[in-house]
Amino acid sequence: MIVVTCPVCGAKGDETDFHYGGQAHIARPATTDPANITDEQQRDYLFIRHNPRGLHFERWRCDRGCGKWFHAARDTVTMAFKAFYGITELPPEELQKQAKGPWADEFKRRAKVKA
Amino acid sequence: MSGKPHRLAEGGSRIDRNARVSFTFDGRQLSGFAGDTLASSVMASGQRLFGRSFKYHRPRGLVGLGSEEMNALVGVGLAGRHEPNLRATQVEIHDGLAAVSQNRWPSLTFDVGAFNNKLSRFLPGGFYYKTFMWPKSFWKHVYEPAIRKAAGLGRAAEERDPDAYEHMHIHADVVVVGGGIAGLTAAEAAAASGLRVLVIDENAALGGIADLVAGRIGDGCVADIVPALVVRLNAMGNVHILARTTAIGHYHHNYLMAAERVADHDPALLAAGAPRHRLWKIRAGHIILATGALERPIAFANNDRPGIMLASAVRGLLARQAVAPGSTGIVFTNNDDAYLTAFALKSAGIAVRIVDSRQRPDGDLVTRAVTEGFDVSFGSVISKVEGTFAVKAAKIAAYRKGQGRVITEKRVACDFIAMSGGFNPVLHLWCHNGGKIRFDEQLASFRPDTHADAITAIGAANGTMSVAETLREALATGEAAAKSVNARAKASKIKPQSVEEPKRGALEPLWFAPATGGYNEGNKHFIDFQNDVTVADLELAQREGYESVEHTKRYTTLGMATDQGKTSNINGLGVLSEATGKAIPEIGTTTFRPPYTPYSFGAIAGALTGKLFLPVRRTPIFQWHTDRGAVFEPVGQWRRAYTYPALGEDKQAAITREILCVRNKVGLLDASTLGKIEIKGPDAAEFLDRVYTNTFSTLKMGKCRYGLMMNELGFLTDDGVTVRLADDHFLMHTTSGGADRISAWLEEWLQTEWTQYKVFVTPVTEQWAQFAIAGPKAREVLARLEPDFDLSNEAFPHMSFKAGRLGGHPVRVFRISFSGEQSYEVATPANLGQGLWDAIIAAGRDFGIEPYGTEALHVLRAEKGYIVIGDETDGTTTPFDVGLSGLVSKKKADFLGKRSLEQAYLKGPNRKQLVGLLTDDPNDVLPDGAYAVREVKDKPPMEMIGQVTSSYLSPTLGRSIAMALIENGHARMGELISFPLEGGKVVKAKITSTVFYDQDGGRIHA
Amino acid sequence: MPNTWLESRFETPLAHRATSDNTYVSMREISERGMIDLRGLATDRKFMVAAKSILGLDLPKQPRTSASWGDVKVLWLSPDQWLITCARAKAQALADDMATALAGLHALCVNVSDMRAVIRLEGERSREVVMKGATLDLTDGNYPPGTVRRMLFAEVAALLHVVEDNVIDIYVFRSFADYAWEFLLKAARKGSEVAVLSRR
Repeated sequence: MIVVTCPVCGAKGDETDFHYGGQAHIARPATTDPANITDEQQRDYLFIRHNPRGLHFERWRCDRGCGKWFHAARDTVTMAFKAFYGITELPPEELQKQAKGPWADEFKRRAKVKA
Repeated sequence: MSGKPHRLAEGGSRIDRNARVSFTFDGRQLSGFAGDTLASSVMASGQRLFGRSFKYHRPRGLVGLGSEEMNALVGVGLAGRHEPNLRATQVEIHDGLAAVSQNRWPSLTFDVGAFNNKLSRFLPGGFYYKTFMWPKSFWKHVYEPAIRKAAGLGRAAEERDPDAYEHMHIHADVVVVGGGIAGLTAAEAAAASGLRVLVIDENAALGGIADLVAGRIGDGCVADIVPALVVRLNAMGNVHILARTTAIGHYHHNYLMAAERVADHDPALLAAGAPRHRLWKIRAGHIILATGALERPIAFANNDRPGIMLASAVRGLLARQAVAPGSTGIVFTNNDDAYLTAFALKSAGIAVRIVDSRQRPDGDLVTRAVTEGFDVSFGSVISKVEGTFAVKAAKIAAYRKGQGRVITEKRVACDFIAMSGGFNPVLHLWCHNGGKIRFDEQLASFRPDTHADAITAIGAANGTMSVAETLREALATGEAAAKSVNARAKASKIKPQSVEEPKRGALEPLWFAPATGGYNEGNKHFIDFQNDVTVADLELAQREGYESVEHTKRYTTLGMATDQGKTSNINGLGVLSEATGKAIPEIGTTTFRPPYTPYSFGAIAGALTGKLFLPVRRTPIFQWHTDRGAVFEPVGQWRRAYTYPALGEDKQAAITREILCVRNKVGLLDASTLGKIEIKGPDAAEFLDRVYTNTFSTLKMGKCRYGLMMNELGFLTDDGVTVRLADDHFLMHTTSGGADRISAWLEEWLQTEWTQYKVFVTPVTEQWAQFAIAGPKAREVLARLEPDFDLSNEAFPHMSFKAGRLGGHPVRVFRISFSGEQSYEVATPANLGQGLWDAIIAAGRDFGIEPYGTEALHVLRAEKGYIVIGDETDGTTTPFDVGLSGLVSKKKADFLGKRSLEQAYLKGPNRKQLVGLLTDDPNDVLPDGAYAVREVKDKPPMEMIGQVTSSYLSPTLGRSIAMALIENGHARMGELISFPLEGGKVVKAKITSTVFYDQDGGRIHA
Repeated sequence: MPNTWLESRFETPLAHRATSDNTYVSMREISERGMIDLRGLATDRKFMVAAKSILGLDLPKQPRTSASWGDVKVLWLSPDQWLITCARAKAQALADDMATALAGLHALCVNVSDMRAVIRLEGERSREVVMKGATLDLTDGNYPPGTVRRMLFAEVAALLHVVEDNVIDIYVFRSFADYAWEFLLKAARKGSEVAVLSRR
C-alpha cells in the first residue's frame, strides 16, 4: 500500500484513493496525424510497454480527490516516488537525464520540439 | 521417572491464586488462575500432551513461551466462534473457555494416524511427490482424501460468526513494535518530542522477557523498570499502547498491519459492543523493531518428545505461572543463557543437571553453576531421548565439533529437558518488505542489515543481547526516529541508567547432536516440528539435488505454513551448511512472509460482512419495488427490479405478463440507474465527435441521437442516447454499469490528450430519477400528468427532448425507446422520484399500466434486435461485428478507436458477426453462451464457430428468439447451424436478421 | 389531477432510516441542504467575478478548503469545480441566477441537490469514526474546521467536510446512502471506541 501525493491539490493518501494509469509519456499518433499511422506505430502506441527495474514514469489520477490526472516518477525496486508533476509537464531535468528506453527518446524529441 | 508437570506451592508473578478460572480442554473440566495461559494451566493440571504432529502424528507437548510455539496449537471457542490454530501459549484462560487439541483422531492418547510414524521410513522428504504419483487415478480418489483426513491442522467453524470485527486506520510518527524494555525505552525517547508514538505488543503484559533476563538496572532487577515506564508512557497524551496486538506484516511505504485481539480474553467485552478482533492499518513515519529474539531448539534424537521445551519457556512458566515442567530435568545448551533456567529450576526445588556442548565455556553464569555445585557435563550432548508420551530418560554422550556418530553414552533418568541452541533475532517484519540481512558469526544467526524504508531494529531483534547495550540503543534510536520524522523534534534528555550484567561466554553453534544409530532407526532429529521436517529429510533433499534453499524449502516443507520458520529457519540452514560444506551466508535464506502469526478471517473482513459486504446501490424507488415483491438482479452495484411476480405467480409468467403489457397497453420501468453526464463548453460538440464513432456536431437542439463508443483498440465499450440541450451543452446517457467509467473516460481524454478543448463534464446520474413509460398508451398516460408541452407526434417526435413541467413541476422528457414501442423517459429530481412514480401509476391505471422489470426490458429489446453492451459484446467486438457499421463515421478524421478498426484482423472475413437465430423447434430456448459448431461429432472437441449472446422465449412472437455472434454470420443468412448442448441434445437454428418484431419500426413512431 | 403529488412524496435518501441511540457519536441525515455543482476555471477572471456577483463571496482557490457567506457555503472540489451549498428551497433560484450570470462564459452550473445524501456526525470522537472507514490522517492538524476532501469511505466515494472540530458532514451519492448509514451505525457502535493518537 503505497502513499501517493497529488501535485494538483496536494492531497496525500493511500493508493486506494488514487487510480494508476500505466506508463506515461506515450504519444498518441492519431492526435497529430490521423491519416498516416503505420501499423508499427499503432502497435507501439497500444501494446508496447517498458518494464524497467528502477526509474519508471507513470500516470496517476487523484481518483477520490480532485479528479485530476498527474505524472509520477517511481523507483520500481524501492517503490519510492522520485517526483510528482503535472499531466502536461515533463519530469524534472535530473530525472529526464536518468530516463532510459522509450522515455529517453520521448524527452529528447519533446526538447527538440520546444527548441 | 514419573514426574509430571505441576504447579508449585508458591510464586508465579502473573497469576492471582485467589481468582480461580474454570475451562475445558478436550472436554475435560480444568481449572487455573487468572493470569494463566492455556498452556500453563494445562501443564499445571499435570498434562503434557497438546497435540499430534502434522505428518507422523507423534505425540507433542509444549515447546515455547509465546508466539514461537509450534506444537501446542489449539482450537478455541464453540460453534461459530471457534478459531483454530491458536498457540496455547498465547491463549489467556477465562471462565467458560472451551479449547480442543488438533490433528488427532479419535483422541490425543490414541491416534490412528500415529501409524504414519511406523511407516516413516516410507515418508521421507518430498514423500508427497514420490509416493502418491502412481497410479494417477488413485490421487483423486484414494490418496488425497486419506491424506486430507489424516493431516491438516485445525478445523474451521462452519457456522456464522456472531461477533463483530472492524478495521481502524491510524497514522503515527513513530511506531514501536515490541513492548519489551527495548521498545518501551525507545518509545519514551521518541515520545519526548511530542510526536505521535504507537507501541504494539503481542502479549497481554508489557515488558517482554525482562523478567527472565539476568542483570540489574539501578537498584532493582531488569523487570523493575517496566511498570514505571508504562505509567509514564500512558500519561503522555501522544503515546498509544496496543497490547494483545500482533504486528503481522510490513508493507510498502512503512505500512504496517496489526491484529488486535480485543475481547478474546474477556467475552464480557463482546456483550458491551466491542469487536472481537480489530485490524489496525498503520501508516508510520518511522518504525522501530524491538521484536526480540527467539530461542532455537537443538536437533538431537527424538527432540520432539513431550517434556522437551525451550529453556526460556521453562524459565517463563516457572517465574510467571509457577508451573514446573517435571521433577527431574536436564538443561541442554550451547550458550550461557540457559544456565539461568538451571538456576531457576534449582531455586524451585527441582533436580537439574546441565549438558553443555562447549568444551570450555567461560562466562560468568557458567562459573557460577560450577561454583554452586551443579552437575555440568561440558563437551557433551544429549544423544537420545527415551519415552513416547513423556520423556523417561536421556542419553548423554561426549561430543566434539564435527562428530557424526556417538560411540558411548550414559543413560540418565529424567522427565523433562530444557534446550537452548542460541537465539535468532526476530527478522520477519524486517524482511517482509525487502530488508537485507547479514549473518553474524557470534550469534550464529542473521541480523538486520539495510532497508529502503525508515525502519530500525534495536535490542535482541538487532542481535544486541546485552541489556546495557540494548537500553543505549533504544534511547538513541527513539530520539533519532523522532528526528527523522521531524527535524526539529526535541531531544529526549533521558539518561541511561547504570546496568550490571554477567559477562557472557561465546556461543558455539550446534546444528546437530549425533546419536548412536542411523537417522531413521528410531532417531528423528526434528528441525521443523510443525511440518515434521528432520535433519535426515534436509540431507536427503541435498543428495537428491535440491541445492537451492528455496527448493529445499518447498520439497521438504521446511519453514512453511503458520510457523514461517520461527524456530526452524536457522537450524535448517545450519544442517544444510554442514551437508554441503558451504557457509550459512552462501546457503542463503528463504523468504519470511506475512503474517507473522495467523490472524482471523474476521479481522481481515472487518466490518464489511453481511449487509456491508458489498455496497448495494438503491434507486429512489427501491422501497416501492421491495414492497411490491420485486425480484432483484444485480447490475453493477445496483439492485434493479428484475420482475414483479404477483402472489402465486412464477417468474416466467410475470415476465411474460409484463412484456405483453408493454406491447399491448403500457408499462413503467425504473431506469434511474442509466448513466447521465452533462457536457458543456464551446468545444463540446467536437469533443463528442472524438469519443463517439458517429457524429454529434450535426445533432440539432432538442434532438436525441444514439451513439457508440469504442476504446482505442476499436472494441465497443459503451452506448447510449445523447441529447443536445443547447449549442454548447449536451446530456449524455451511458449504460447503467458504465456511468462512472465513462465519465472518468471523458475526463481522462480531456485532461491528458485534448487539453486544448474547453469542455466541462459533470456526472449527474444520481440527481435524477428516470422512468420509461412505454407502450401504445404511453402518450395518453403522459397527457394525464398535465404536461405544459405539446405531446403530439409532430411537436414531440421520436428521438426528441423536452424540458418542461408535469403537474407544475420540472421534468426532462426524452422520447426514446429501448422496447420498440412508443416510449417516453421522464426524469425528475430524485427526491421527487417516488411521487412521480406514484403519479404515473395512478394516471396509467385506466390504461392498465404495470411496472416491468429488467428481464422484460431485455426481452423487449431483443425482439427488436437492440444490442446490450456486455451481452452482444465481449470486449473484443467491433461496431462492424454487431452490424452497426452505419454508425461508424467515414468522414471524421479521428475518433477513439478509428485507427484500430483499420487493422486487417478486425476486417477479416472470419470475424464473428451478430445475427438472429430462430430454432427449428420454436419451444427450444438456447442457453446463453451455447456454442455453435462447424460440425457435430460424437464427443468434443468440436470446432466452435460462435456463441449465443442473448436468448429468450418471446411472448410477443410466441416462440424462442436468440442473437449470436457467428463466424462470418452476415453472409450466412438462412443457413441452419447446430448447437450441441450438455447432455447430448443438438439444437438446430436458422440464421436470420436480428430484428424479430416490427421490422419497419412503425410502432416506435406511433 | 391535483399538483400535490410531488410535495406529498418528497423523500430524501435516508428518510426511511431511524436514528440510533446505540452510537457513540450522534448521526443524522441533513435533508434540507441544497447543492449546486459549479465548474469553471479559477484562472478565468470573468468567471470568478460572475460567480462572486451571485454568491457574495470569492470561490475558494485553496485546495480542500471552503468559504461561507450567510447560509451559503462553497466547498472546493477541484481547481475547476466547487460545490455550493445553501438552503434547499433556494437552490434552484440560485442555480438559475448563476447560470444567467455565467451566460457566454465557459462554465457549467447544475443543481444537484438530490444527488447526494448528507450525514452529520457530531461528537468528540467523530474523527475516529471516520478513520474506521478512511485512510486519511484526520488527527495531524491538516483537517481544521472548513476542510473539504473527497475520499474513499468504507467501499464508496464520499466527500468529507469538517464543519467544526467535532462536527463532520459526510456526503455520499444517494444510492449509497443506505450503505454508508449502515457502515456508520456499525463503526460508531457503543463499546467499539478506540483511542486515536494526537501530537502533543
